[in-house]
Amino acid sequence: MLYRVIDASELPRLIEAFMAEYEVIAPVKSGRSFAFEVVESFDEIVLDYPTTLTSLKKFFLPPQETLFEYNVDDAEVTDYELTVKPRVLFGAHACDINALNNLRLVFDDPAYPDPYFEAHSSANMVVGISCSPTDTCFCHLLDSDEVRSGYDLFLQDLGDRYLVSIGSVQAANILEAACNPREATDEDRRAFRQRTRARQEAFDTSIPDIQEIPMLMDAFHSDPFWEELGGRCLSCTACSAVCPTCYCFDIVDVLDPSGKQGRRERRWDACTSPQFALVAGGHNFRDDGRDRVRHRMYHKLNGFNSKHGRYLCVGCGRCVRACKADISPIEVLKFFERKGAEEELASSSDTGKEERDA
Amino acid sequence: MAGFASCFGCQINITNIERYLLDVLGQIDMQYWQLTSSDPMPDDFDVCVIEGAITTSEAEKSARLLRDVADVVITIGACAKTAGIPGMASVDYRLRQGEVYGDDVPDVVSDTAYEPRAVKDVIKVDFEVPCCPADPYVFVEVLQKALRGSNAYVRTSTLCGECKQNERGCFYGRGILCLGMVTQSGCHAKCPNLGRPCSGCAGLSTDANLEVARRIASKSGIGAEAFDAAVTVFNQTDPRVGDPSI
Repeated sequence: MLYRVIDASELPRLIEAFMAEYEVIAPVKSGRSFAFEVVESFDEIVLDYPTTLTSLKKFFLPPQETLFEYNVDDAEVTDYELTVKPRVLFGAHACDINALNNLRLVFDDPAYPDPYFEAHSSANMVVGISCSPTDTCFCHLLDSDEVRSGYDLFLQDLGDRYLVSIGSVQAANILEAACNPREATDEDRRAFRQRTRARQEAFDTSIPDIQEIPMLMDAFHSDPFWEELGGRCLSCTACSAVCPTCYCFDIVDVLDPSGKQGRRERRWDACTSPQFALVAGGHNFRDDGRDRVRHRMYHKLNGFNSKHGRYLCVGCGRCVRACKADISPIEVLKFFERKGAEEELASSSDTGKEERDA
Repeated sequence: MAGFASCFGCQINITNIERYLLDVLGQIDMQYWQLTSSDPMPDDFDVCVIEGAITTSEAEKSARLLRDVADVVITIGACAKTAGIPGMASVDYRLRQGEVYGDDVPDVVSDTAYEPRAVKDVIKVDFEVPCCPADPYVFVEVLQKALRGSNAYVRTSTLCGECKQNERGCFYGRGILCLGMVTQSGCHAKCPNLGRPCSGCAGLSTDANLEVARRIASKSGIGAEAFDAAVTVFNQTDPRVGDPSI
């Protein structure tokens, strides 16, 4: 990895250089929250935004996307030509870039590459920026507070300057042309370490750090906890709408108003939607909130690990904010903490009993 | 196309998609439309579209007749789906007649009018186009589904997921009552997207978690009573409304 340093005062020039060639998407104020939107000037961008309501997922996997079109009368299929405007997604936090990397693991699978995802992915440049944790952030507990690939540039804020990790030649050229990047010095690296340490220490310690989460998920698969957690699910699917890594979709055929032309669309789906596991014949494999919520948490904290060796959940905390029923991975971590405390208590009282018996 | 107790706004709203209206009409042979023609009901038709709630025994008889003839029945709008606005009168219904007519309730009212009902509580309904008014584009989709079949299933998830896609933030954080968390999705949260909380016109989802929703309303300072009152506007005849066990 190549590192360069630019002055903070040079950042507007970098953004302007991006704007000359690309559509720039960046975090802006949106009501009481923040959102990734198209920006026309550097001043609109909120560099130190806490988090956004929804993630960058929509720029890789749109909520609705046409896969192909067809003629109803003769069933002739026309491939859909997808043209994506070249974009710069500016200001992505480490968790969100890790989330995009997780999506790539799924859609860039060499065995089944997804051409639609690829079209978006290859048109998107990703520029990351360092951040400070909010009270709903737990990326550090799921190995997602740092990101090592999947971006074109990553800006580490060092106060009056940025340490820039360079991930692509394309972005390096733009950086070179717009700014005066210099070699990183020992002092820059020291400042980087200090900033990293400060970030690590800023996480909310009331969110428990649990070891061996996938193993605990299996161990407590039948615990009444899931009934309690899933029983309060509103079936609203807000969690998956804001989640940067929920990638499940449904496929439907949509006719135009004349009924002569149709298009096959994929649309975001959610495993917390009651019909998600409904199959032909009418059987629903996950017929209640308990099963659905448990399934979602398993995919995030267990199932994806088995296949890809990392958590699907990146700890961005969006679902923590979006769920009015207080269902989130944090609740699962707290449950494991309670279980651990109970077991410790039980084993210490066992030990006491053994000692007395002896 | 037939109308019962309603404002007929859903039928009017369908005519608002002028750009596509001829395309839609090109797929069907429109035989009967009370709103536009006094011609009598034909003896045979395939698809019947019903707007409005059933509020009289006479209307019930007509609905049954339509059902007997039609292969497919589609309802449009909140009044047909949940009894909607007419349904609000169903609480202490007998008192309502007195409130309007005093001691002289005309025979035609006392003999035929009864507690407003959703169409599905009177006859079997094949497809529903929810909302007040019914979205004409959703109507066209449903009509095509009836004519040609479809691989899209009806989702019973509630509205917040669609609302989040609009990125407008949540009313609950601002202490404003919104019924999205118990209301059937499918409208893409049009009202919240325009800055108005959901009033629940799509009807309660069959999977609505009312117990938890009331708790959330209470916790966020809105109050469970205010929440309950808001739910009755479009769901008065839903058996879950006013159920003390919820």
